[in-house]
Amino acid sequence: MNKLTTLPLLALASLSLVSLPLVLLSVASQAAAQSTTAQTTTVDFWHTFGDAKRSGWIQARADEYNKAHPNVKVVPSFKGDSNTTFQSTILGARQGQPPALVQVDGTSTQLALDSGVFQPVGSIKPVDFSDYLKPVIQYYTVGGKVNSIPFNASSPVLYFNKDLMTKAGLNPQNPPSTFAAILNVCAKLSAAKIDVKCVALTPFSWLFEQWLSEQNVALLNNGNGRASRATATNIDSAAGRKVFQFYKDLNDKGYLTNTGKLADTVGTNAIFTAQKALMTINSTAGLGNILDGAKQSGFTLGVGVLPIADGSTRNGVQIGGASLWVTKGVSKGVSEAALDFALFMTNTKNMADWHKVTGYYPVRQSSVNLLRNQGWFASSPLQVVAFNQLLSTSPNVANAGSLSGATIETRTIIEQGLQKVLSGQSVVSVAAATQDQANAAITDYNKNFK
Amino acid sequence: MYLSLVQPSRTTARRASQPEKPAAPQTHAVFRGRALPWLLLFPSLLVLAIFSYYPAMRTLRLSVFRSNLIIGNEQFVGPANFAELLSSPVYQQVALQTLVFVTLVVTLGLLCALGLAWLASKPIAGAKFYRLMLIYPYALSPAIAGTLWLFLFNPEVGPVNAVLGHLFGLQPRWLDNPLLAFGLVVLAAVWKGLGYNIVFYLAAIQNVPAEITEAAEIDGATPWQGFWWVVFPLLSPMTFFLLFTNIVSALFDSFGLVDILTRGGPVYGRAGITTFLMYQLYQDGFRNFKTGAAAAQAALLLLLVVAIVLMQFRYGNRKVHYGA
Amino acid sequence: MLIVASPLIFALIKATQSSAQVTGPSLLPGLNVLANIRAAWEGAGLGHYMVNSAVVAVCVTVGKTVLSLLAALAFVYFRFPLKGLLFALVLFTLMLPTELLIVSLFDVVSGSLHWGNSYAAIIVPFIASATGVLLFRQHFMNIPASLSDAARIDGAGPLTFLGRILIPMSWNTIGALAVIQFVSAWDQYLWPLVIMQTDSKQVIQVGLSKLIDVEGQSNWGAVMAGAILAILPPVAVFTLLQEQFSKGFALGQDK
Repeated sequence: MNKLTTLPLLALASLSLVSLPLVLLSVASQAAAQSTTAQTTTVDFWHTFGDAKRSGWIQARADEYNKAHPNVKVVPSFKGDSNTTFQSTILGARQGQPPALVQVDGTSTQLALDSGVFQPVGSIKPVDFSDYLKPVIQYYTVGGKVNSIPFNASSPVLYFNKDLMTKAGLNPQNPPSTFAAILNVCAKLSAAKIDVKCVALTPFSWLFEQWLSEQNVALLNNGNGRASRATATNIDSAAGRKVFQFYKDLNDKGYLTNTGKLADTVGTNAIFTAQKALMTINSTAGLGNILDGAKQSGFTLGVGVLPIADGSTRNGVQIGGASLWVTKGVSKGVSEAALDFALFMTNTKNMADWHKVTGYYPVRQSSVNLLRNQGWFASSPLQVVAFNQLLSTSPNVANAGSLSGATIETRTIIEQGLQKVLSGQSVVSVAAATQDQANAAITDYNKNFK
Repeated sequence: MYLSLVQPSRTTARRASQPEKPAAPQTHAVFRGRALPWLLLFPSLLVLAIFSYYPAMRTLRLSVFRSNLIIGNEQFVGPANFAELLSSPVYQQVALQTLVFVTLVVTLGLLCALGLAWLASKPIAGAKFYRLMLIYPYALSPAIAGTLWLFLFNPEVGPVNAVLGHLFGLQPRWLDNPLLAFGLVVLAAVWKGLGYNIVFYLAAIQNVPAEITEAAEIDGATPWQGFWWVVFPLLSPMTFFLLFTNIVSALFDSFGLVDILTRGGPVYGRAGITTFLMYQLYQDGFRNFKTGAAAAQAALLLLLVVAIVLMQFRYGNRKVHYGA
Repeated sequence: MLIVASPLIFALIKATQSSAQVTGPSLLPGLNVLANIRAAWEGAGLGHYMVNSAVVAVCVTVGKTVLSLLAALAFVYFRFPLKGLLFALVLFTLMLPTELLIVSLFDVVSGSLHWGNSYAAIIVPFIASATGVLLFRQHFMNIPASLSDAARIDGAGPLTFLGRILIPMSWNTIGALAVIQFVSAWDQYLWPLVIMQTDSKQVIQVGLSKLIDVEGQSNWGAVMAGAILAILPPVAVFTLLQEQFSKGFALGQDK
């Protein structure tokens, strides 16, 4: 028995001693072999959709494209969440091995520009952007240049439980559209002694930014960071304090609930679909799941426009989502093929289909028209609210969306600020402190360019 | 040859029951050869040099630079990153929280694991199933484990609050009450690490020759006395090993769980109460891409770890009973 | 016991529910178990990821065990200069988690070695183990010195000594270590995600994460079903090795 165990062990030991250089050699030769056999143009496309529905849709479009273009091979792959996908792209690009096409989250737009890893799509070949929805294309236009092809776009809406509304003696045809109206509905709900919370709302900076946009206040100075690099925020503004106050009012009166974790929209969706809350405010991207949830627990779902702060006219929502960027470090042929595929994937027919499959906005006017002609909006009225909200937005600085390389950090700071208000701190002191912290984060980021 | 195994073990038991007597110094180094030990170490050292030390050096170099991962810039700033960290009240609070967290997780984790492993080692009916149930949390990836806990402790729709509400009329706010959130993360980390500790304790307990415990029973010791005075001292090398690895894993591996369960929150004082050193580093380095600041934090963490390793050297070989 | 097990039971129940039920309070098992497993298995293609992970985890486990045994042999049974320093160097690597080094490690593995397309990228960096060296060292030091004296008198070399005496006396430790190493290799996520360029060589945790979506469209039922499928191999390894190392121990005692 001893001999038997000793022999393989020794063999393994010696194997591992010699295997390292061998592995090194084999891999090196493999790499060499690959570089010589590049006949067709390969377009690596990294995206952030892991689920079968959406990654399957992307793969199907790639297959169609590859069939129509035998000399091009588009290879889509899921690369984790947007943060990991972006980071992997940068790391790959530094090693001279970037993917050709990458889905980049809107919040990373400034970082993508500052990285120097990407090229504006207009510099590859002229692209006609007139068909894209204005609020969408303006988000990705910086300094007059469109940098990327819009892909998945969403905005926030109010979701409400029609049955509970009726039960509380409220009109489900007339959902609240302002902060005051929400508080009013909540008062009626608690008067009706129905044992549910009024609003499931998580501390979520994306909503904070939307509410500033709706009040025509830019989150950042220097034209929301679009005219030149932003140096300060407008968190501690009358508009910003109204948002803090809204969270505080809801909380103080016992109307608000969430899971306690920052930006936990999955948690608030769960609370809402379990009929533990009358309303929730969340992205249109979640409509599919919320609808399923409502069916499952047996209530009728209602969708309303994003309720806004009182005393201002509706200035419109800013777009959330991601766009498709082409990297710089690839050959001209590859970048042209990448752009061509991006335009194919987001063409009129495909975007209309994308909307039906996922609930994301079709980013083209022609797709909207196509859907309208197909009678889609009549058959799915819940989508219309979100649509009109977007289509009625006339572009300006505030609703163009903010640009800063410190967005991820300032978002956390804003969310922590909202949580501080929920834990009982005063709006005035929290708004000031949050602004200071966020400004410091932006200053710190800008030091990278001195 | 195997007979000789039993003999020294008996002496171990006798010595172990008199803990005041220090263990005899070990004289294991018996084989000669200059090149052979280096040859034996070579594969390990080569791999560690290429894949741990070289990247670590490169990371540490960045601690004196202002650098952003995405921009790829490097501006020399000297000790500024360190000065900023050490004078930051946020960082001080995070360090203190980490200390409390690590102490709690390691102490609770080892105690629970020891007790459960002891029970699991008994020849009871269904022992195999029981052991499986204890090991599985370790086999779950942190992301899945975190998600499970998040669902379980959702204050409105989680099963935990459903049960508590039904029995006691309680609906604790697990994730935004600072004390509860801290406790929850400690509990989750202990639970996640149980499997690891139990596997090793189980192996160590099975290494204890049966005649030793039998002898203790014949001498009239209660099971508890037998365990505490005979078995536990024999497990001390394992306890020491686990103490060390648990400190390390509480320091470094908990951030995945924290990220999913609490995102470092809720805010208490100047920082999120479940923001620990490694989570802060992860946030700064890989969410906010402040490579230089993150490298400085890594350097400080390494200093801390050097201290722990030195302690392992100083006390490790002395305080632990290694048998005859 | 029940407390430790309850999240698993919870996961099992959730694996049977439909996507919308999972995030909710319901604890009633649903009828969606097959649909969820199919969604996990076919939708995310978990099968081939599991094969990849198995290959990687076995290689890493075997590599770690062998390298650690050899290193511990050197540390315990030899006297050589710089021993203390080398041991400290090995030990320090415990504190260098991959996540900390990921950027530089990426440059080394992808840039200098060009391993971006091979299993080597997710195996070789992990085949040395400070945990293993530390544990085997502790264990060897616990073995009576008289044994090595006897071996020396018999004229046996160090490798014979390792194979004939140390390893048969170490089955429990080897088994315990193998279980832990297998699981930690199996649980690798961030590194394979970042480094591996080819999906056909990707690992299970990355495959599983495809089911979890950041924007709230996750099919949680499938996630839970996938999670349960994904813990089966580590649990199987544990069951197998548990038998193995208990037996190895029994042999040692009986003879």
